[in-house]
Amino acid sequence: MERTGMEQSHPAGAARARFNVLRWSAYAAALLVALSWAFILLDGNSGFGDLFRERTWQNAGQFVASLAGAGSGAPSPFVQAARWRETGQLALNTLAMSVLAMGIAGAGALVLLMPGARNVSDGTLGGAPSHTGRVVYAAVRIFYTLTRAVPELVWAMLIVFFLSPGIIPGALALGIHNLGIVGRLTSEVVENLDPAPARALRAAGASSPKVLLYGVFPQALPLFLTFLMYRWEVVIRTTVVVGFLNAGGLGREFRLRMSWFHYDDVGLLLVWYLLLVIAVDVLSAQLRRRVRWD
Amino acid sequence: MTATGVRLRRAGEQFAVAKPLVAIDSASKVYGTNRGLAPLSLAINAGERVALVGPSGSGKTTLLRLLAGALVPDQGPRSVIINGKSPGELKPGRELASLVGIVSQRFDLVPHLPVLHNVLAGRLGHWSLARSVLSLVWPMERRAAQQALARVGIADKINERPGRLSGGEQQRVAIARMMMQSPLVILADEPVASLDPARAEEVMELLVGLVSLDMGHGNGDDGSSQRTLIASLHTASLIRRHFTRVIGLRESRVQFDLPAGELDDAVLDELYDLGDDNGDVEPLAGLAARDG
Repeated sequence: MERTGMEQSHPAGAARARFNVLRWSAYAAALLVALSWAFILLDGNSGFGDLFRERTWQNAGQFVASLAGAGSGAPSPFVQAARWRETGQLALNTLAMSVLAMGIAGAGALVLLMPGARNVSDGTLGGAPSHTGRVVYAAVRIFYTLTRAVPELVWAMLIVFFLSPGIIPGALALGIHNLGIVGRLTSEVVENLDPAPARALRAAGASSPKVLLYGVFPQALPLFLTFLMYRWEVVIRTTVVVGFLNAGGLGREFRLRMSWFHYDDVGLLLVWYLLLVIAVDVLSAQLRRRVRWD
Repeated sequence: MTATGVRLRRAGEQFAVAKPLVAIDSASKVYGTNRGLAPLSLAINAGERVALVGPSGSGKTTLLRLLAGALVPDQGPRSVIINGKSPGELKPGRELASLVGIVSQRFDLVPHLPVLHNVLAGRLGHWSLARSVLSLVWPMERRAAQQALARVGIADKINERPGRLSGGEQQRVAIARMMMQSPLVILADEPVASLDPARAEEVMELLVGLVSLDMGHGNGDDGSSQRTLIASLHTASLIRRHFTRVIGLRESRVQFDLPAGELDDAVLDELYDLGDDNGDVEPLAGLAARDG
């Protein structure tokens, strides 16, 4: 009897409490929104008012028009085959940079896949637990964290210090950063594998490298390739940002043309960039579908 | 070769007085505070087909894993001897692979490798590392794998992924892998537990067939094609039909050790502690009893 009474009173009390919290949260949110707008609109230096000025929109329209090649007097680069070829070459360079970056990230992650997985280092997946294994595991994980924590932009800034500008420093910067990401994800795939097939291989007399080769690699590979393809989509976008730092490709040219006020060239570069991003997205989706069999 | 096999098999049947192939000398295994196996002694001769019965937790799996060398007895590896060698002392490789092999209830195939490579995995203990690597790209001993698959009746599944196969077919792949490994002693941990009675009968037939089968590789030791089967299972009719000897384990002790033909349901009921009040003690036995 007593328990029933408690159960009845308790939910009612909880409902009242939650109702109050909700209502006060709504009041607070409304107040914050109002204050924020007041702050923006009352402060003349925020630049927010510019958004509503006719002049801003005229400028924007002019800029878009010049991106499209209008108003510069000279013939638009969009109608010159030579300009398409030149910028196309830059797009190819950018593509090469992204592929090279994924090659660096992929090769690195593939090599570190096993030592970076806890269940390989502690012997759960076959093989004896060893001190060396644990030390190497810790080292690989710290390496992953470091490479991942430093953004590709910072890697690029560091690398162009000692490498001549071009697609190589860009690819290195992107590759190192993505090695940390792909490597960690793949090692975690290995850590979540069912150990039973590996044990069965061991029972069939397979030594540790053979167990890893037959029992672990084939299972980890499809997901590894999937991660790599996903990262490729991100990397092709980031090539432009890295390119800003003299790392070559479309990004570098983009920055130069912007500073020379060659907006029509910038427009052409943007078109190539969009084509590249779309092509990589489509290709990546196709490849990802291919590796998914189970 | 066939004639030799037959002759050896006949010899094996009268082998009881000779030195046993498998000798377990009061081996035990304790996991933490759990007793996996109490001190147990057992001798098994070449060519015997031994069924292990007993309720869950009676030590069947522990015993099989000790024999496979996957576990080392608390008394040290020398308390389990197979053909003069101790599986717990052997490193993974050719010697251990030709001595013992194990098939488990869950088949344990590698899901992302085609059936062909899963079957060839039985050769990993025999192959060098370079050969193993190469085989992933360019399968070695493909014909032997084809023959093994044909023998278990699924030659057409050679390029399938294990995940697309039924439970019975997966167990056939595991048996084909065992053919490729070709060990002297074949261990099977509840090999038919997850199969329906008809499939269980077929798989058991194949497994028993391995004992007298010349698998084409020989064992490297004595050229004998005579093998020994030790399997855990629960179905009396399968045991009577396919095995020569049955050992009842309970609380990791040997409760009985009989010729398989003398196993009657009353003995089994007592082992599983089902009592007299329950007349319908083994529902699967009737189903599985097809044309013997």
